[in-house]
Amino acid sequence: MSVETVESGAGPTPKRGVSILFGLTLLGLLVVLWLLLGLATSAFWTPNNISNVLRQGAMTAILAVGQTFVIITAGIDLSVGAVVGFTSVIVAWLLAAGVPLWLALVATLAIGVLIGAFHAFGIVRMGLPPFIITLATLTSLRGIGLLITNGSTISITNEAFTSFSRADFLGIPSLFWMVIVVAIPAYVFLHLSRFGRYLFAVGSNSEAARLSGVNVNRTIYLAYILSSTCAAFVGLLLASRIGIGNATQAEGWELQAIASSVIGGTSLFGAVGSVHGPLLGAFILATINNGANLLNVNSFWQRIITGLLIIVIVYFDQLRRRGSR
Amino acid sequence: MTGLQEVSQRHEGELEAAVAKGKPILELRGLQKNYGAVQALKPATITFLSGEIHAIVGENGAGKSTLIKLLTGVIPRTAGEVFWQGEPVLLASPNEAIARGINAVHQEVVLCPHLSVAANMFLGDEMNRRGVMRKRAMTNAAQGVLDDLGFNLPADATLGSLTIGQQQLVATARAAMRGTRFLIFDEPTAYLTRQESAQLFRLIRRLQGDGVTIVYISHRLEEVFELADRVSVLRDGTHVGTRHIGETNEAELIALMINRTIEQIYHKEQFALGETIVEARGLSGPGFADISLSVRAGEIVGLYGLIGAGRSEFALGLYGRHRLTAGEVFWQGRKVEIDNERQAMQLGIALAPESRRDQGLCLNLPIGLNINLPVFRRLTRGLTISRADEAANADRQIRDLQIKTPSRRVLASAMSGGNQQKIVIGKWLSHGAKLFIFDEPTVGVDVGTKAEIYRLFARLLEKGAGIILISSYLPEVYELADRLHVFRQGRLVASHDYRAASHEDVLAQAINA
Repeated sequence: MSVETVESGAGPTPKRGVSILFGLTLLGLLVVLWLLLGLATSAFWTPNNISNVLRQGAMTAILAVGQTFVIITAGIDLSVGAVVGFTSVIVAWLLAAGVPLWLALVATLAIGVLIGAFHAFGIVRMGLPPFIITLATLTSLRGIGLLITNGSTISITNEAFTSFSRADFLGIPSLFWMVIVVAIPAYVFLHLSRFGRYLFAVGSNSEAARLSGVNVNRTIYLAYILSSTCAAFVGLLLASRIGIGNATQAEGWELQAIASSVIGGTSLFGAVGSVHGPLLGAFILATINNGANLLNVNSFWQRIITGLLIIVIVYFDQLRRRGSR
Repeated sequence: MTGLQEVSQRHEGELEAAVAKGKPILELRGLQKNYGAVQALKPATITFLSGEIHAIVGENGAGKSTLIKLLTGVIPRTAGEVFWQGEPVLLASPNEAIARGINAVHQEVVLCPHLSVAANMFLGDEMNRRGVMRKRAMTNAAQGVLDDLGFNLPADATLGSLTIGQQQLVATARAAMRGTRFLIFDEPTAYLTRQESAQLFRLIRRLQGDGVTIVYISHRLEEVFELADRVSVLRDGTHVGTRHIGETNEAELIALMINRTIEQIYHKEQFALGETIVEARGLSGPGFADISLSVRAGEIVGLYGLIGAGRSEFALGLYGRHRLTAGEVFWQGRKVEIDNERQAMQLGIALAPESRRDQGLCLNLPIGLNINLPVFRRLTRGLTISRADEAANADRQIRDLQIKTPSRRVLASAMSGGNQQKIVIGKWLSHGAKLFIFDEPTVGVDVGTKAEIYRLFARLLEKGAGIILISSYLPEVYELADRLHVFRQGRLVASHDYRAASHEDVLAQAINA
């Protein structure tokens, strides 16, 4: 690429609306999927099943939002699945030890903050690549969780805690409400606050951001802490839903979260992403899995379809980006 | 040992017979390129003669890049014809251009930094024996070529460990090895030191001696006069004329390019000097040692030296990017510690860094975000950024600096070098400062934009700011700086008042000749 490229007039058209357009395309895809599944199987459009899709998608969606913050800084957080399993153990353990519910919840979220801070410490102070430090915690956290439980599971007897995930509010599953509880502040943070701008700037060119007075280290801390805290929050939701703490739960969810984020238009090279994209991506994946179950498609095929979907959507997104250059 | 001749003979048979020296080798007849409604290159008729060095000059956006891309088959033409050695050719792909012997060396090296010099020189053209690469033979051959060209570079070194200038020499040697008949240089000296430029010029003359036709594109007119046989001028996509170098002068070329005289470019206004803004006493840090200098309000302090002489390192140290190991900084008479960039900004220091691409801009983000990056804190109301203020601030800088863009939402990467530099400057204008450090502000910037930047300096001085101007381009610091400091190998070796020393003396101090 030459430095001297486009002059006045020959410049590309303004970018406004492109990401909105992409969001609408994803939303359209989701609606088409729902309509098709409604035609293909009568079991899809039942209140029960819709609730089920919303519950399934909710946890991936929250993970994907946190993951997106990290990916925008041109990093990656491979640990989120392990953090979910680990924190489900922590909350179950605390509750079994008689710790009050509110304290157990706060303490578990605080563990999420600490894990994220540790990741950022490894990246900023020790100079480790994000892939490596989060890969290391991915395996270690599962190990620590298994040590705590001695390889078994801890049952949760706190009725108030476990009933939460089964509850509805205004006819919508409480888990889905949690997505909204996360998404609104996430949107304000990423798209409306200066810290969101800093995430993009660090992901695009951290040296330029630093010389412009952006506190790059703090921005990286922020991204990884938010990702791990989202994961710890999902750990609470999962523990509530299945009523146990088990370190081997949520195996591979980090890949689901990354896939949702990427389907939602996030660029793994950094500096491109949104909050609404990963949310839609997560529910598209949840719908495909649900539909495949209803249609009795072999579960092995679900994985293949997910893979193909990632390729197709990201390919079209690439074409779009190139076209608008 | 094998020299350039031998290695390039591997390709001799593949190319058509050369045209006699001085006869047309490549002719453009009404060559034209439109992007939508925009005419990037209006019908151009230019003839390149075999064995000549043909310079092409013009401001950014004049159509130089478009012309190169057409000739190297990167983009298709809209209309017109191209004749190569008398035959009409399509030049539909880069491969077709290379196969005919047309090659380009770009300003930014497009090679693999992790591979060795030899591997890069033979990239895509490796020597094989039954499918196995002959690594040693290639290294020897590459070393032969490098020695033959007098480069003094090891062929087995990793390319990324060399300076940008040395990498450029490797890229040129690579093109020369492929039996190139027609070689285009696109702003090759933008990142080179003077010695490296001199080496490159020797190489270019040598290639010319071997019968290669050279097209040389540059913003630096003095290079054009040093090298070229003929020069063509482009302005706003129009070919406005071709001259023999002996029949023209700098003034005429500039007039052709921009209709502006040389005095109007180096716009120097004297202002009454005010209080001392910053004083460095015995400052040392990574890459510089024992630097003492001061800047007063209304003053331009020039730092001249070769790339790597410690000027940029000093600036980064003063700005808090690198840790100082010794010395003191006084800000408006008060001793201060500057531990990071944010403290420097708070004091009132602004830095437009050396490399727009690596330090100055978030290229894949919008212009508006880049301009506002230092001031988002100021644009924040409560929890969120005021969208209206954000837009207003970006649009004001775009308007004031005449950044040529349809919108603040366009990505910075889509801008030309001159406009990118204006974005970097716009950041600091909206932030505001007492001391502005401009590190190589006019590299890869056309003459018109240069003049705009110099006028901007005057505006800043008028408001009582001080400026540190770092440049490897002597006329720039010489004509503009009220006080000129010369750096060599990390030390401040000489200081001069405005125009007190001759060009030759300053140059000699910088290179210790």
